[in-house]
Amino acid sequence: MNWKEFFKNLKTEEQGCVPDETRREFLKIGLIITGVAAGGSLLNVVSVVAEGLATSEELSKEYPYKPHYSMVFRVDRCIDCERCVEACRQTNNVPEYGWRTKILERVDTKAVDQQRQFMPILCNHCNNPPCVRACPTQATYKDKQTGIVKMASYKCIGCKSCMSACPYDARYFNEEKRAIDKCDFCWESRLSKGMKNTACAEACPAGVRIFGDLSDPNSEVYKIVHQMGKAVWVLKPETGAKPNVFYTIG
Amino acid sequence: MKRIIILASTLILGLSGFVLSEITEEGVKYQESEEAGGLEIIYTKPVKGVLFSHKLHVKELGLPCESCHTAIFEMEAFKSQRNPDFIMDSLYKGKYCGACHNGQTAFASNTKCATCHVGVKGLERLKKKAQVLEKK
Amino acid sequence: MERKNNPVVQGVISKEEFTQNWLQFLTEFLSGSKGFYILLILSGLIVFISAMFGVNAIYVGYSHVYGIYREIPWGILISGYVFFVVISTGLSIISSIGHVFGVKSLIPIGKRAVYLSIVTLFAGFMVIFFDVENPFRMAIWNALSPNLTSNIWWMGTLYGISLIFMIFEFLLILLSKHRYATIFGFLTLISKVLAISNLGAVFGMLYGRDFWYGPFIPIYLIASAISSGSTAIIFFTYLGYRIRNERLDKSMELALQVVGKLWALSLAILIFIVFWKIITGLVGSEAQRLAIRELMFGKYAPNFWFFEIFLGLITPFFLLFVSKFRNLNQMFAASLLSFIGIFIMRFDMVVIGQIVYHFFEYKVTDFPVILTYKPTLHEIMLIIGACAFCVFSFLIGEKVFKGHHTEIH
Ligand code: HEC
Ligand code: HEC
Ligand code: HEC
Repeated sequence: MNWKEFFKNLKTEEQGCVPDETRREFLKIGLIITGVAAGGSLLNVVSVVAEGLATSEELSKEYPYKPHYSMVFRVDRCIDCERCVEACRQTNNVPEYGWRTKILERVDTKAVDQQRQFMPILCNHCNNPPCVRACPTQATYKDKQTGIVKMASYKCIGCKSCMSACPYDARYFNEEKRAIDKCDFCWESRLSKGMKNTACAEACPAGVRIFGDLSDPNSEVYKIVHQMGKAVWVLKPETGAKPNVFYTIG
Repeated sequence: MKRIIILASTLILGLSGFVLSEITEEGVKYQESEEAGGLEIIYTKPVKGVLFSHKLHVKELGLPCESCHTAIFEMEAFKSQRNPDFIMDSLYKGKYCGACHNGQTAFASNTKCATCHVGVKGLERLKKKAQVLEKK
Repeated sequence: MERKNNPVVQGVISKEEFTQNWLQFLTEFLSGSKGFYILLILSGLIVFISAMFGVNAIYVGYSHVYGIYREIPWGILISGYVFFVVISTGLSIISSIGHVFGVKSLIPIGKRAVYLSIVTLFAGFMVIFFDVENPFRMAIWNALSPNLTSNIWWMGTLYGISLIFMIFEFLLILLSKHRYATIFGFLTLISKVLAISNLGAVFGMLYGRDFWYGPFIPIYLIASAISSGSTAIIFFTYLGYRIRNERLDKSMELALQVVGKLWALSLAILIFIVFWKIITGLVGSEAQRLAIRELMFGKYAPNFWFFEIFLGLITPFFLLFVSKFRNLNQMFAASLLSFIGIFIMRFDMVVIGQIVYHFFEYKVTDFPVILTYKPTLHEIMLIIGACAFCVFSFLIGEKVFKGHHTEIH
């Protein structure tokens, strides 16, 4: 992260104290829905997004990246068949001891009716990534074009700061690479070779994972994130990391 | 004839009190005890980790054997798994579990995915349970 | 820089004088008592053994022999690093009060403090060497690809620089070039204070970790530094005089009194800071509450109440007042206990920050809400080795530099 971005980030964090008028303006900016706004009640987020939506074109212009890669999970459809995890392992040579994406099992024995849910997680490719700030050698960085949080493995000194910085447990030390390894939305293995989808999303038999360009109003991710019918949320919005991975139902 | 088979198997499964557990390529099946009320079957194909529980359906819900056997399911574990149409689409069309899990008799197959599906985690967990039973 | 400031090259002192100095060091070194050499060999042996553990760890791969794992990536080695560099910073701060800012009463402890500051910083670097997976890449990419928003980068760089400054400072003190030494002392002080605040920020800037996030840790560490520095001075000065079988002269006694008072003050400040961290933490976010609850009432409660609070803060504070800053035996006892307490403090600070599982609020079955971390033999041996290294170097220093006596000008 360079200084310009650093100050830009500071600016977006300040929105708590801007007057109403400016606040409205801010709401139009797609950036803030990616996490910050989700801090309030979930339904609120969605309606706020829709309200602030001037024209979709304007919105897409305001996304900091092009394409602004993003993933949406229809989390209730996940059945933990772990085909995604397998696909990821094979595509990206992820060793046994590590993972780039994982399915968590949530069990709530006090819940009415259904008591289990599977929750996939991966790197959230945050707009304000704590790991990138922490890395001493810029071995991990936010790609200027796509917003993907990538690794320059050869620079990694293995201090594990990014691992402790990450609120999403998305990083592990890869002994073969002698560097931290993490999800890069299959940039190296697929997207850079012209493919359009990540390995995990392609492998999912239940349509849980939807990958696409959040700045493109015709993309599926855009349509899911910008609607009022269903709640859309992000994990741990309180950290202010502004993740680009969303969760929804159905 | 059907009656006799059912009766016989009831005797074998329900009364004779042997503990059965088996882990194969196709999946896992195990029975905790004679009181348990029948086999627990975990399918692994096409996707890993779908649990069908005799204990739940027979013992707890009190469904008679005839409601499934042998119109919907054969009395042979993993028989239906060998059919290529043992997939969600068939369930939605009212075959297999979908015969009841259609939203009327029981909750619909296109809801509550994670109740039937216990996933790889559930599979591993139940495998361990079956292994423990196997040792007994 | 090295050329310009090298007094030998500059001709500030003659070559003969220089070799003579070294010869003197050597004869001085060979004049120790039996107990001294036994201690020396023992500590040397421990350093050697733990170095073997370190080599083994490199060979096998850190992740196989250390207790750290994906969810708790920082363990006792990071704690050890913090422990040593905070002591080092504290020593610099306290010694500089004397020989940089000219507070006369603190001058006698200056030389030993600078020496020990180098030693402890070096011990810290040794520990971190065995924690960072690619230390050699670090040397290259820290320089070629610095990330200026990274506190780790600043911390590492500043501590690196301060080590160089300190070595110059010490050499210049040895050569009695006090004016130059003062300049370097000042530079050391600045780089060290900046370094420790960045060390605090390494934790304090992690906005994904509620227990660490905020200005608390930098402030806590700087107060801790003064406390740890005083501890180290009292501990090692006492031992130094014991080893050399000398009696403290008036000026040294006075200096230790002043250090003791500084220490008491810093302890009071620390108690205050810790108190409010706990109180505010108890009403904070859920993640922070869980962490603090684990620290106060969970598995870490003995660490917290007995080691941190009782041994690390209350007992030394109490002992200092009982000793009236005069009774050296009591002050030494206080410093010994406090060393143990301080180490546990560092351990808790590092581990508790990571102990709450990332997705604890989602009722996840894959991980417990509170994770566990247990240091392995390798990790513990490396820490013990670094401590032994400090003792070893301290012993050598006492002999070679003749008890670090300083003439007041
Ligand atoms: C809700 C439906 C249902 C009910 C009710 C039911 N079963 Fe089953 N049963 C199954 C299914 C599903 C299978 C597995 C068939 C397959 O995989 O193709 C099975 C398999 C079996 C098997 C074969 C096990 C093996 O090891 O191969 C036996 C025996 C059996 N059931 C006996 C019974 C008896 C006795 C009852 C009544 C007490 C009963 N079942 C009631 C659904 C049911
Ligand atoms: C004979 C009808 C019938 C068939 C066939 C049947 N079920 Fe059920 N099942 C029921 C009923 C009735 C319930 C309880 C009602 C409810 O929960 O909606 C039930 C409940 C369940 C539950 C428990 C849900 C909970 O809340 O815990 C699971 C899991 C389940 N069925 C799985 C299956 C699977 C897998 C199959 C196919 C292999 C299957 N069932 C076939 C009738 C059936
Ligand atoms: C009544 C129980 C039941 C429910 C509810 C259920 N499934 Fe299934 N599912 C099965 C069974 C039985 C199979 C076939 C056995 C296997 O794959 O192991 C299956 C197979 C699948 C498969 C692989 C075969 C295929 O169709 O491609 C997918 C994917 C799947 N389920 C997704 C889902 C999703 C998504 C949901 C929720 C919307 C869901 N299932 C709900 C019982 C269920």
